[in-house]
Amino acid sequence: MINSHTFNPSAQLLAQTAASTLGISNSVLVPLGVLFGLAALLLFFGRIPISYNLLNLTVRWRTTLLTALAFTLVISLLTVMLAFVNGMYQLTENSGHPENVVVLAEGSTDESFSNLGFSDIGDIENQAGILRPDGRPLLSRETYLVVNQPIPNAPPGGPQRRFLQLRGIVDPNIAAQVHQIVLYEGGGWFSESGVQEVDSASATTAVEVVVGEGIARELGSSRTEAELAAAANSNRLDVGDVFSLSNRPWKVVGVMQSSGSTFDSEVWAKQSLIGPMFGKETYTALVARTADAESAATLKNFLNNDYKKAAVSALSEPEYYAGLSSTNRQFLFGIIFVAIVMAIGGVFGVMNTMFAAIGQRTKDIGVLRLIGYRRRQILISFLLESLAIAFIGGLLGCAVGMLADGWTATSILSAGQGGGGKFIVLKLAVDANTIAVGLLLALVMGLAGGLLPSLSAMRLSALDALR
Amino acid sequence: MKFLRIVVENVLRNPLRTLLTTLGTMVLVFVVTMVWSVLSFLDEQTAEKNANLKAIVTERWQLPSQMPYSYAASLREGAAREADDIRPTDSMTWSFFGGSLDPESRTRESSLFAFALQPEKLMTMMDELDALPLSQAAELEIAVEKMAGNRQGIILGRDRLAAINKQIGDRFTLYGFNYEDINLELEVVGVFPPGRYDNSAAINVEYLNAAMDAYPQTHAGQKHPLADKSLNLVWLRVPNTQAYSQVAEQISNSPSYASPAVKVETASSGVATFLEAYRDLVWGMRWLLAPAILITLSLVISNAISISVRERQKEFAVLKVLGFKPFQILSLVIGESLLIGATAGLLSAGATWGLINHVMGGFTFPIAFFGIFYIPDASLWWGLAVGGGAALLGSCVPAWTACRVRVSEVFARVA
Amino acid sequence: MANEPCVSVNGVHKFFRRGSERVDVLNGLTLSVPEGEFLGLMGPSGSGKTTLLNLIAGLDKPSEGEVWVRGEKISAKSEGGLADWRTRSIGFIFQFYHLLPVLTAYRNVEIPLLLLPLNAKQRREQVMTALEVVGLADRIKHRPGQLSGGQQQRVGIARAIVTDPSLIVADEPTGDLDAASAGEILDLLCELKASLNKTIIMVTHDPRAASRADRVLHLDKGQLVADTPALSETA
Repeated sequence: MINSHTFNPSAQLLAQTAASTLGISNSVLVPLGVLFGLAALLLFFGRIPISYNLLNLTVRWRTTLLTALAFTLVISLLTVMLAFVNGMYQLTENSGHPENVVVLAEGSTDESFSNLGFSDIGDIENQAGILRPDGRPLLSRETYLVVNQPIPNAPPGGPQRRFLQLRGIVDPNIAAQVHQIVLYEGGGWFSESGVQEVDSASATTAVEVVVGEGIARELGSSRTEAELAAAANSNRLDVGDVFSLSNRPWKVVGVMQSSGSTFDSEVWAKQSLIGPMFGKETYTALVARTADAESAATLKNFLNNDYKKAAVSALSEPEYYAGLSSTNRQFLFGIIFVAIVMAIGGVFGVMNTMFAAIGQRTKDIGVLRLIGYRRRQILISFLLESLAIAFIGGLLGCAVGMLADGWTATSILSAGQGGGGKFIVLKLAVDANTIAVGLLLALVMGLAGGLLPSLSAMRLSALDALR
Repeated sequence: MKFLRIVVENVLRNPLRTLLTTLGTMVLVFVVTMVWSVLSFLDEQTAEKNANLKAIVTERWQLPSQMPYSYAASLREGAAREADDIRPTDSMTWSFFGGSLDPESRTRESSLFAFALQPEKLMTMMDELDALPLSQAAELEIAVEKMAGNRQGIILGRDRLAAINKQIGDRFTLYGFNYEDINLELEVVGVFPPGRYDNSAAINVEYLNAAMDAYPQTHAGQKHPLADKSLNLVWLRVPNTQAYSQVAEQISNSPSYASPAVKVETASSGVATFLEAYRDLVWGMRWLLAPAILITLSLVISNAISISVRERQKEFAVLKVLGFKPFQILSLVIGESLLIGATAGLLSAGATWGLINHVMGGFTFPIAFFGIFYIPDASLWWGLAVGGGAALLGSCVPAWTACRVRVSEVFARVA
Repeated sequence: MANEPCVSVNGVHKFFRRGSERVDVLNGLTLSVPEGEFLGLMGPSGSGKTTLLNLIAGLDKPSEGEVWVRGEKISAKSEGGLADWRTRSIGFIFQFYHLLPVLTAYRNVEIPLLLLPLNAKQRREQVMTALEVVGLADRIKHRPGQLSGGQQQRVGIARAIVTDPSLIVADEPTGDLDAASAGEILDLLCELKASLNKTIIMVTHDPRAASRADRVLHLDKGQLVADTPALSETA
């Protein structure tokens, strides 16, 4: 995805340093640098003072405003869309710790479709490389399933059911260490039995669960007005709250602090309970924690190539999540398509403006040429004017787009065909790269829209212009 | 109409400007048409139908839904037991079989996901296949008959067939991965008509069931792990919402489906649940993207008209001197704007409609199970309305400026 | 050297093509203008006087013949060469002033200097000098829209002399002015000739303007018809 257009080593080094300092990828930084360089060159070689162009823009402020606003809209929209995709990529990155190794059934790339029999994998926890801080291996055994919950108090006309992501955990403390999960104060992990009595008369027990912050909010939003008024936390479910699933009460005993990962949208409970409840008698994944990325790679290769006791597929956690981001790419393509088409529309708009400006100022052009200004300087002058409108509009667009930073949105992470996928809540993220892309598009639009008119201005002969 | 002639003449006066404005409008209307087509397609899929409903029966809690095949017989009858219970008019079972032609590896070229079903249902229960033109229907009929006669037959979409490098008549082994150790010997007996099933594959469910039944013989009497989980979905066709409710009740109240429990929902309800994950995206498309495009369009047209009005100030003054009323001048400017906007909008929507529907044969939706979607015919009205509306909005201020030109001022400046 | 004419036009023909027709505008014109002369060019519309002015000013090339200005054969220069030459060697004055409307008087006058290798201080000196010569040093921050016709023309003249060219060409400089302003402008032109020894070639319809020139040439149908040393009154 990233390819550098620089040719010599020192330029490459400079670009890389700039890229890493600014947080902008090479494929964006280089074209942007080229355009800024071009603009600088134009300013340097242009003899017609830039104040001439800027003053004209101010005098024709209505047209300038309308044109710049079109740029603002296109760029702000692009920024928001890119922020969404950024959010998805950040989520996949945050979800994968480089020291973790995810073990799935052979041939699986998504734990939704992985089945690891209990007996198959008993030996894996004895392998070298897995951390054992207090003697016990940091290997979390998990059963992931997606269940269907009828939404309580669902408004008619809207969806009546939702998908809940459940994760059955064998040992919550180990899972917490492997995935680096921290609970909010006042909460705790589920007990040994995994259930709590809620009604001694009928001996009903509730399944103890720990929920991610995202799903806690989602579940909390289904409460009635009365329930919300009486609730300890009206924003989301909190410790002590109960919801219903599969005709049983489920009680929240802890809430996971948001980690910007897929776990924010999950409900965790004791594996031995929910496995049988939903007929899933296998693990879907084992996640092992090693010392660092190299150790993870070593363990992963061992399990894939040399481990003979069971047929497994091992991936480093970042790799696993990267594999789930094919939807990211689909969105990215869709966004690029929309942005380019809108940009083309904007280019026609700025072309109109520039042709009109030049049409209005043919006498100016004539006089300048007469006095001795060359054709190329006329070209440069009007190109700069077009770039100026683009830059102003684009900068404003980036500023407006930045307002979307931090918004939350729901989406799906998936590996593509075959169904499956994780339902996630992500945060839109506007970063330096996004701003750079916005500015780049604005400048390209300005250049494209200003080129034809400026060329036509250049071709006017002094005499014709003054006639 | 003389007025129209004047408007057209004015529009053609600066052909370059008119062209640029038209092109800009067309491009933006194109995007809006695409966006609205997608939104309307999704709305349609989730809208509850009133007649000819499809009910979907799935396992109640889990995803993916897995039920024992033994449920199929009674579910097809809508769990009808009493005399006055309603039976569905048609039904279909679905089992998903994923496999690879290469036992060692799984690549795009070697993977195959097939639906195991009753062959004859392909003609009656599948979207689009139940309403094919005669020639295609006849061809599919032949393939279906072959598959019914030969349990090992497989029908593929043409893209999938090409991807695995096979032709009609070829035989191959499909090594199961979700059904581990179940390997099916298949023969290609037909191809789906071009369209939404280009990447699909269908096999005869009897063959899968037989393979599952035979499994214990080669595996020390042990049942296959998915032995009681091979039925994924059941589709039932019911005539109307009343019948649907009754059938749903019959199934929910039936004691035969205790473990695992099942649920019944309409197809649109199922889609709605699935689409929930995308709700923010859809919201963004509807309330951010589309309005932004419309405003940009207005700006582009407004820009062009403003420029034109400013250049013609003297002309408008002359018109006023000649006796034109302000309202007539206003109408003139708005008329020019509307002509450009509406024409460009209509052209663009029409071109999009023609290109996507007829030249490209529809647009494949990248999300999951949605098939091909087409630009609705209504889009032609959208184009007209969007182009015209944006033009109207954009020309308000310039038209007002034009009709407020003060004769004396303009001539003073010129003199 | 002192006797070399400032401008020398030798056997110049100029024609244009209108479709398939050939329109002869200048037919075998020859004239010379000595240094420091204030020359008037008169003639009916279509006589070719503006075309002649354009040739002398290096804005156009003759179809046949040569044009020399101060020892340089400008009819042989390239487009780029002519552009450079015009900046340094010619000042232009127009009927409609042709100032850049968005720039102040100061900036308008400065425009030609931006093409020369001068620093800001040097430019300022020359601009202020030019504006003082035309008597507008107190209006430097005004835009053309804030100046009267006469004042705008003076800015135009300042711009024409700021690079200290030896030749000034004026195309109907008083055509858009009332009698009083016209008089002032003509006074200024005479002053330029007298104290700064500029050579001035002026195209005009106005007999009163022509009367201020040292010599008046009449053109008709692309040829000189009369050569009046000093015009007193002509109908």
